[in-house]
Amino acid sequence: MSQTRELTVLTDVALITCIVQRGNADVIVKAAQEAGAQGATIHFGRGMGVRERLGVLGVAVNVEKEIISIVVSLEQADRVFKRMYLAGNLDTPGMGIMFMKRLEKVATYIPHDILKKLEKRG
Amino acid sequence: MPSHIRYGDFLREATLQEHEVSYNLLTPVPQRDASGNDLPCQAPPVALRGKDISRLLGPYVGTRLVYQLRAVLPLGLYLAIFQILVLRQPVMDAAIVILGMMAVILGLMLFMEGLRLGLMPFAEAIGDQLPRRLGLAAVLFVAFTLGVGVTFAEPAIGALQTVGALVAPERAPYLFALLNLWTTPLVLVVGGGVGLAAVAGTMRLLYSWSLKPFLYLSLLPTLALTLYCANDPHLSTVIGLAWDCGGVTTGPVTVPLVLALGIGIAASAGKGDTSLSGFGIVTLASIFPVTGVLLLGLILKLSYSQAEVMALIAANAQVSAASPASWFETTPWLEIRGGLQAILPLVLFLFMLLKGVLRHGLKDRGIVLYGLLLCQLGMIVFNLGLSYGLAKLGGQSGELLPSAFTALDGLAGTPLYPYVTGLAIALAFAFLLGFGATLAEPALNALGLTVEDLTNGAFRKSFLMYAVSTGVALGVGIGVFKVVAGVPLFWLLIPAYGAALLLTLVSDEEFVNIAWDSAGVTTGPVTVPLVLAMGVGLGGAVKANEGFGILALASIGPILTVLLSGLWVRYMSRKAELQEQVSQAEASS
Repeated sequence: MSQTRELTVLTDVALITCIVQRGNADVIVKAAQEAGAQGATIHFGRGMGVRERLGVLGVAVNVEKEIISIVVSLEQADRVFKRMYLAGNLDTPGMGIMFMKRLEKVATYIPHDILKKLEKRG
Repeated sequence: MPSHIRYGDFLREATLQEHEVSYNLLTPVPQRDASGNDLPCQAPPVALRGKDISRLLGPYVGTRLVYQLRAVLPLGLYLAIFQILVLRQPVMDAAIVILGMMAVILGLMLFMEGLRLGLMPFAEAIGDQLPRRLGLAAVLFVAFTLGVGVTFAEPAIGALQTVGALVAPERAPYLFALLNLWTTPLVLVVGGGVGLAAVAGTMRLLYSWSLKPFLYLSLLPTLALTLYCANDPHLSTVIGLAWDCGGVTTGPVTVPLVLALGIGIAASAGKGDTSLSGFGIVTLASIFPVTGVLLLGLILKLSYSQAEVMALIAANAQVSAASPASWFETTPWLEIRGGLQAILPLVLFLFMLLKGVLRHGLKDRGIVLYGLLLCQLGMIVFNLGLSYGLAKLGGQSGELLPSAFTALDGLAGTPLYPYVTGLAIALAFAFLLGFGATLAEPALNALGLTVEDLTNGAFRKSFLMYAVSTGVALGVGIGVFKVVAGVPLFWLLIPAYGAALLLTLVSDEEFVNIAWDSAGVTTGPVTVPLVLAMGVGLGGAVKANEGFGILALASIGPILTVLLSGLWVRYMSRKAELQEQVSQAEASS
């Protein structure tokens, strides 16, 4: 018995990427989730640049970074972006950088009941 | 005026004033030289306002300060509150003790940061480069030398010397002589032990040997030597010191540095990837020094009779009394000199090795230099705090503790409680001190995480932490009882280590590694001086020969508890497997 598998593609999606010092990601992800983000992926990396430019103060910046990737809907994107900026204190030198990019399409598991609800509405 | 404003727009203006700036305006315009080639861009330094600097440095300093505060503050408060409420004695020189404790926190903070930025890159670069340039023999020789050098840098070693001054020479002449006249040979012997351990541990990593034969081969002779010394009335006082040295060596400098070197060497040989790499060196580094110190005591005994030692001590006392102590032998200069002695030679050795032998530069030279400066500064401040804060507080608690159950000279109303109650209070105090101090030790948390990973969660992190803390607590409690009741240390040590060896025989290799390392890892820079000073103060108050040995018992305690809980975990998981098989069999039938 074969089952037809369906692929539902999400549109109106943006990707927020935020690179911060190792150990700071959890606070930022929490702020993003409180602002409505569904989840986050964090991976480790190493950065360079700002440490050298800060001179002596560069010691306060950890070269080891955490890179947070969060997929958000366009509607919530600005809100999540700002919350993350504030939670991460990115207005402080050496704290990190973040950027947002529109995604063409996204696919993942979407709960069945939600799909049904959407179908009814559509 | 618009009559409608989107709420989102309002929020945006109210919370964050968002401006848009084109990044094009910020990036540098490419410069060309006369012949039209691009010149490499050189980013100008960032000009920071005062506010930016404080916001940058605030969290940097804050997190590190809180980290040390969490380890030190509860302990200090516990001691002070116990002394005031239960022993009904004010803390003497309270202001100085508080300043001392603050120096301990500050010193540890600076030192640990310096270790991370300064010393560790050194050790890692050397561990990485060494096997590529030199043969195995030379590599092992460097590992040995580093082991010796690192021991000198260990802050806890300074505690040993501070505590040594508290020993009464007439009661334990050889012990006093070892701690006060032969300090350098003592530290050298301990360092030699650590060096040998570094060599043996590296070989073990390279050839993937089991830890068990190492344990048998190193512990059995040491126990035999202990037994021999125990039968000699003069040497028996040295046993406590010798076994305590094992706990002292495995502190916050030795463990990471020796590990970094060993793992670096093993990794360049392509052997560093086993999950247990690194474990084991710490264990050996806490056994070999014991043998060394016992042998040193033996040599001392063979070359000087008791009368000669007493004469030497008297002569030394006369000399130091006759000549007013020169400026560098009085506090605080003494502590500053100690701090310099600890770090400078080690750094010079590492530097010469890297530059002279390996001809390899360091990345981020400025930051490494800053790290080394911090290390040096932190060591000096920590040394000061050790003398004025930790040793003082621990010594006071130790001296006053017996007032709970026996009459003390110069203290009215002692004993405060009936003998049995008082002794129980004292032991409970010691038990809780050991438990709390260990649980607060940052290294234990790290160990717990590693173990949870290694055993795929079979051995929970909190389970390990409690097992180790209970072990240390039992050890400290029994140790205090030993000092009060005057039980010879070998009566406790030999059965305990015998049991540990037996358990080792039946345990899995993984748990053996974890258990034997847990002891060394958890006796950190705060616990060690506190417990040492408490033991010696206690010993002085109850007129025991010496107050050493508590630390040794605090080391064997967790080994036993972790081995036992390892067996328990294995037993439980086997039982669960069996039950599963049974239920599967039932389901299929």
